[in-house]
Amino acid sequence: MSFIKNIPFFILESWKGLFRNGWMSLASVAVVAITLFMLSVFVLITLNVQHWAEVIKDEVEIVLYIDENATSSEEASLQEKLDEHQEVSSYNYVSRDEALQRLETQLGSRGDLLSGYDNPRENPLRDSYEVRTEIPEQVPQVAEEIAQYPAVAEIFYGEDVVENLFSATRVLQIAMMALMGALAVTATFLISHTIRLTVMLRRKEIMIMKYVGATNWFIRWPFLLEGFNLGLLGTVFPMVGIYFGYYQVQEWFESHMQFMPSMVSMPEAFIDVAMLVVPLGMVLGILGSTVSIGKYLKV
Amino acid sequence: MIEAISVSYKYPDGKRALKNLNLLVNRGDFVFLVGPSGAGKSSIFKLLIKELTPTAGVLKVFGRNIAQYRGKQISMLRRNIGIIFQDFRLLEERTVYDNIEFAMRAGGCPVKEIKKKVPHLLKMVGLKEKANSQVIKLSGGEQQRVGMARAISNRPAMILADEPTGNLDPQTSVEIIDFLKNLNLKGTTVLIATHDQQVVDHFKKRVIYLENGEIVGDEARGAYQRVLH
Repeated sequence: MSFIKNIPFFILESWKGLFRNGWMSLASVAVVAITLFMLSVFVLITLNVQHWAEVIKDEVEIVLYIDENATSSEEASLQEKLDEHQEVSSYNYVSRDEALQRLETQLGSRGDLLSGYDNPRENPLRDSYEVRTEIPEQVPQVAEEIAQYPAVAEIFYGEDVVENLFSATRVLQIAMMALMGALAVTATFLISHTIRLTVMLRRKEIMIMKYVGATNWFIRWPFLLEGFNLGLLGTVFPMVGIYFGYYQVQEWFESHMQFMPSMVSMPEAFIDVAMLVVPLGMVLGILGSTVSIGKYLKV
Repeated sequence: MIEAISVSYKYPDGKRALKNLNLLVNRGDFVFLVGPSGAGKSSIFKLLIKELTPTAGVLKVFGRNIAQYRGKQISMLRRNIGIIFQDFRLLEERTVYDNIEFAMRAGGCPVKEIKKKVPHLLKMVGLKEKANSQVIKLSGGEQQRVGMARAISNRPAMILADEPTGNLDPQTSVEIIDFLKNLNLKGTTVLIATHDQQVVDHFKKRVIYLENGEIVGDEARGAYQRVLH
């Protein structure tokens, strides 16, 4: 009951404490803000690297060439099997005429090389399916399976390139996650030590509170809330910076790096970073102050 | 009120602070503890507020053995003991009002009562006009008065004053002790550890003499210098 009655007092005390120890609070907020900003930037880089890896992997597809001697019932059966295959997410039929047109477009100014093949009878290309899988990593396995289907003349998915791409993106993702983890641990240490220092400088205050008969929790609550406030203020600055900065970077990137896949779009990128950084800042603020205060309460 | 039976205290490094202390202080007593530095005066106070625990013997405060007191029990004990320090030990960055309010809140006093009582307490110690002053900007004497107002804010049954006049001029010293004497007349038990000969001689109250952690004398109306019988 007395706790509930004291809640406004605790909240007021926590803010007063922050302002009373202005410089130290400012230093703590700055450390939290800078550390979390660095972490946020790194999280964004990791998110984008992962996103690009996914985009590139999603481009991987199996090209299934249809045997020109296949009967229409064999072709129908092939389509049915593709429909039923659990791991096939989509497929696209490309007729030999369409394939020729695409080739012409790709050759551009050298398209005249194909003159003479315009006649359907002279077209050397085959009808095909472009098959995509639910998970890009399933491509080699699915390719092996559908190669056995009727009416399939040949399968192509750039075997060596794909496998190298998959292992490269896997290594990159693991490396980024490891670096991000290391940075998060560093941030945790840095923030909790700064808050510890803040509490240590106020040990005399804690001792006096104990002498007048304050219970440990009566002392702890304002400090705990103050830690929360420090964490909260410390996350506001990086979040605002990220919110506006990311837009700028994204704009620049889209206009200067057209050959690259686009960046993770704004609300999602911001939400992902905020979901990690905001709770981290607050929890570290609370834990940092609660853990540090413990040893000064033994009076 | 206080009963010490063969109480001893040794610091963790083995250094002896108190040896075989036997002491009885009744409700309403006014007692000076005198003796050279390191004689054990402050250690007695630390034992009474359970900052330290006797390494031997039994110490009863308010009729209870406090050796097993933990957490909240210690807080409750301290709310019933007002402590005054030589170095005041106030929350320096806060106002006079805040210092007393904090102690009363910690003591579980309702907000309404705090608002009513703090001005009264400040009037008692002559600081009514300084309620909103920051403690750090007050003189030594004024700070000690804040300390006294804080010490009595929860209506404690006992006041422990550790060298309360140590940093004050003779005139203020007498005023402070006078204030404590008046509290004592209203029934509060008062223990004062002091080096202030003038004060002890002036008030002619019970004096307990300590040397090397032992009680070497206890006079009902004593002076600072012990008379050997």
